[in-house]
Amino acid sequence: MARQQGWFALLLALVISAFLLCINLPFQLGLDLLGGSQLTLEVQPSSPSEKVTTEQLEAVQAVLDRRVNGLGVSESSLRTVGSNQLILELPGEQEPSRAARVLGKTALLEFRAQRANTKIEMQKLQKIRSQLKSIGLYQELSKNNNSESSNLPSIQNQLEDIRISLGLNKFVAKNEAEQIEFIREKTNNEIVKLFEPSFLTGSDLINAGRRQEQNLSSWEVTLAFNKDGGEKFARLTKSIAGTDRLLGIILDGESISEASVGEQFKTIGISGGSATISGNFNADSARELEVQLRGGSLPLPVKIIQLRTIGPSLGAENIRKSLFAALSGLLLVAVFMITFYRIAGIVAILALSFYSLFNLAVYALIPVTLTLPGIAGFILSIGMAVDANVLIFERVKDELRRGNTLIRSIETGFSQAFSSIIDGHITTLISCISLFYLGTGFVKGFAATLGLGVVMSLFTALSCTRVLLRFLMSYKTLRKPTNFLPIQQLPKEITIT
Amino acid sequence: MELSTETFIKKPKISIYRNRKKVWIASGLAVFLSIIGFIVSSLDSSIRLPIRPGLDFTGGTQIRLERDCDNKCKQISTKVISEELSNLSLSKNELSQKFFGARVQLLDDYNSLSIRVPFLSASESKVVIESIENVAGPFKAGGQYIENIGPTLGPQLLKTTLISLFAAFACVAFYISIRFDKKFSFYALLALVHDVLIVCGIFSWLGVYLEVEANSLFAVALLTIAGYSVNDTVVVFDRIREINKQENSFNPSQKIDIAVSATLTRTLYTSGTTLLPLCALIFFGGSTLYWFAIALALGVIIGSWSSIALVPSLLTLNQEN
Repeated sequence: MARQQGWFALLLALVISAFLLCINLPFQLGLDLLGGSQLTLEVQPSSPSEKVTTEQLEAVQAVLDRRVNGLGVSESSLRTVGSNQLILELPGEQEPSRAARVLGKTALLEFRAQRANTKIEMQKLQKIRSQLKSIGLYQELSKNNNSESSNLPSIQNQLEDIRISLGLNKFVAKNEAEQIEFIREKTNNEIVKLFEPSFLTGSDLINAGRRQEQNLSSWEVTLAFNKDGGEKFARLTKSIAGTDRLLGIILDGESISEASVGEQFKTIGISGGSATISGNFNADSARELEVQLRGGSLPLPVKIIQLRTIGPSLGAENIRKSLFAALSGLLLVAVFMITFYRIAGIVAILALSFYSLFNLAVYALIPVTLTLPGIAGFILSIGMAVDANVLIFERVKDELRRGNTLIRSIETGFSQAFSSIIDGHITTLISCISLFYLGTGFVKGFAATLGLGVVMSLFTALSCTRVLLRFLMSYKTLRKPTNFLPIQQLPKEITIT
Repeated sequence: MELSTETFIKKPKISIYRNRKKVWIASGLAVFLSIIGFIVSSLDSSIRLPIRPGLDFTGGTQIRLERDCDNKCKQISTKVISEELSNLSLSKNELSQKFFGARVQLLDDYNSLSIRVPFLSASESKVVIESIENVAGPFKAGGQYIENIGPTLGPQLLKTTLISLFAAFACVAFYISIRFDKKFSFYALLALVHDVLIVCGIFSWLGVYLEVEANSLFAVALLTIAGYSVNDTVVVFDRIREINKQENSFNPSQKIDIAVSATLTRTLYTSGTTLLPLCALIFFGGSTLYWFAIALALGVIIGSWSSIALVPSLLTLNQEN
């Protein structure tokens, strides 16, 4: 008798500590419950036949991590998945386009000197580039005024002129936008070709910043070189100072700015180890470049292969709905169990409530990130947890029908159901483990909660239910077979010990 | 008070042995209809696959928006939105081609809408939402859901799903062959394939008639079904083994009938208690988990059938020889 009470007290202590855990440790909520953006990035190997190594993946992660921190999103998380993917979660972020732009670029910055005697070509290409820009602006305007159709031919003619001056073949693309893009790319490539190969890159930077240009609304990005970089920069600028050669600042193979170096730097070059880039930056694009340069360039290019954005109120609704589903599921099961198993049903419900509580405590403790499929896994595991109780109680009923005493029936019921319970739980656990190891993302979440549920259900069915049942049976008023079975199902000759 | 072993075992309530032909016809018919479903779905010009694949497998962009209206949302037709989409000429005109295959749906009594287009970048999605806001807006601020899945992710996902499904099958079969024997393991595996096949078949018919898609959640459901269905079957096996250990004068087929009858209540109750939370998910869980819960519920029902009827009926076949 005293032993039953002792076990019961222990169980109660466990329940109370689980409850305290739940209210003190915050649950980790997934993006589908919290709202926010999730990006999956795939690292592209340098050639299709090569594979991305672990070191490369880690190097990419380190760079991206710095860039994400530079963006200033709170509680972001970046983790590797598989051999060549990274998942970035930005809780609360509703405008992932900025993050996508910042992360997707390689951000390889180079400083190059213009080749000698290429002044005329350079001027021609620069002219074409500004022409293209004005076409773009013009299109933007005419789109807003809805008068594009009347002006179409002139753009067409301009493009045709540019094509001829660049010495290109006839356009393959019919689409005007594609043609513009084609020329833009071609012009850019031609400009980059006019520069000498570089030995000064973004890896020689120690810092980057941005500031608004004086008297102008545009922005510039400031750079600070390390010692080595400062010397290289001085040498580079010295070599072209006072000539008609320009200094090209090339980002990811595109020249973003070309600057001339004044006569006064002829003797020692631009020293001091700092420089500014003033292309056509606005506040946002200057900040993006700053973040990219600070984080360093990516060792391999990355591609965004998945992007998911969930609004915060949608997340709140998901929480509400799944909580409601979980509670009503528990309630339905409770009604079912009490109808069919009477007092044992009440025991099962108590055990099940403890089971839910223990589960939640484990989620908070590990911690398990709760997602919508994860909650579905939990709700499903409620159904499976009942199964162990059903197995035991059916055996108990069988024993009672045979005329066994109540206490002995309960003991036999537990021992006989044991092997079925173990086998059943282990087979489910096997699928959970294979799901967890092979699945990705939210599949993992589902497998984790279901698997934890299965383990926990093994514990509660074999210990909680037993302790509770024994404790209740230590009270004589409850120790009646009719509390388990309708009277007509009991054998006639019955002895109560 | 001691009772003899003979009275311990009740007379079987049902006889699987006598009804085994009926069981085979029912299961065979279901499998046959499932295969017909795969064929019909493969021939359907909009699907061309045994099951209509979801966004996760095909890649593309899905945008779901909730409309912000006072009481009842004004009725709009999907045509207006489609037209707005095709009118959408951006500075980057390659986008217009992306809307060629756009699919627009209005859900929840015009309260929300879903747009399915090929893969868009983050900024492109934003442009799309802004342009639709003109005709269908205003939208609730926090109620948007955008999913962009690149074309490479789908085949990868399909591969990992199939691998994990087969790995789970193999592990479960291995476990049963250790705990019981190889024949049991073979029949359990057969039942697994039967269950998964029928659930897939039902979804391929649903795909043809209701445009229900099989996404990665559906794959998760299949894996869970595999684990769950074996769970039930193992309980029956366990009882057969227990009866075999006892000394009695029953022939093998009778033993199977007894084992099934003895576990029948348990299997039905357990299915019941698993179905109840699933019903709660179906009715209250929201649209994301709706078809997932339905797939699981179907799996539970079919899994119980194969544990109660199909596997035992196959076992009687074996005991005769």
